[in-house]
Amino acid sequence: MPRQVFSVSEVKQLLQQGAQLIDVLGEDDFEHDHLPGAINLPLKQLDAKTSAGLDHDRPVLVYCNDFG
Amino acid sequence: MLGFKNVIEYMPGKQAWYEENQPREGRAVDEIWIGDVADSEVPTCDPAERIGDVRARTAGWDTCVVVNPERVVMGLLRKKELDGDPDSSAEQVMRLGPTTFRPNMTLPDLLQSMRDHDIQTNSLVTTLDGRLLGVISRADAEATLAHEAVAETPTNR
Repeated sequence: MPRQVFSVSEVKQLLQQGAQLIDVLGEDDFEHDHLPGAINLPLKQLDAKTSAGLDHDRPVLVYCNDFG
Repeated sequence: MLGFKNVIEYMPGKQAWYEENQPREGRAVDEIWIGDVADSEVPTCDPAERIGDVRARTAGWDTCVVVNPERVVMGLLRKKELDGDPDSSAEQVMRLGPTTFRPNMTLPDLLQSMRDHDIQTNSLVTTLDGRLLGVISRADAEATLAHEAVAETPTNR
């Protein structure tokens, strides 16, 4: 199970440490708004091919729209 | 997960990020969110402060927000309370549970809510955990949107 974080400060700290920020929402949602620096990888399209551009050795920080 | 060694989930999600008045990218940067325009200079006071002292330093305002040391909203003083007994404490006379709005609400949506509920006074903008970011008056909301509408109107040449 992935580690979970809950605060803005934890997110900022992880990003400073080089985490890759992934928005798993749909493309339309992402184009309307997303967190600064996020990469869009919609959950429905997430597979080895679409995630090939990510660095597997760096932390991956994912977010959805809201809690849960 | 797909061979990644360290996957972390930001559980509250992006709406909570925006509700903390954090920045955004995408088309939404062209929208006016109320966190962008809230007036953070609104007077605040401690719950124990005397109304007479509050009144003396809030001249020109009809609103003072009662906050705790973390700037979390505890109550609200409107003109009626500010003009009341100078020896009362803010806590004794403040309005409890004032309506607050999150910073990621758009200004047109806030203005519509103000119109629907005939709100003429300042509306409070707070984070998800109730920390005061500022206030927006009905007049400022109307003026800002009117200015935007003029700016977006193409010139006829």
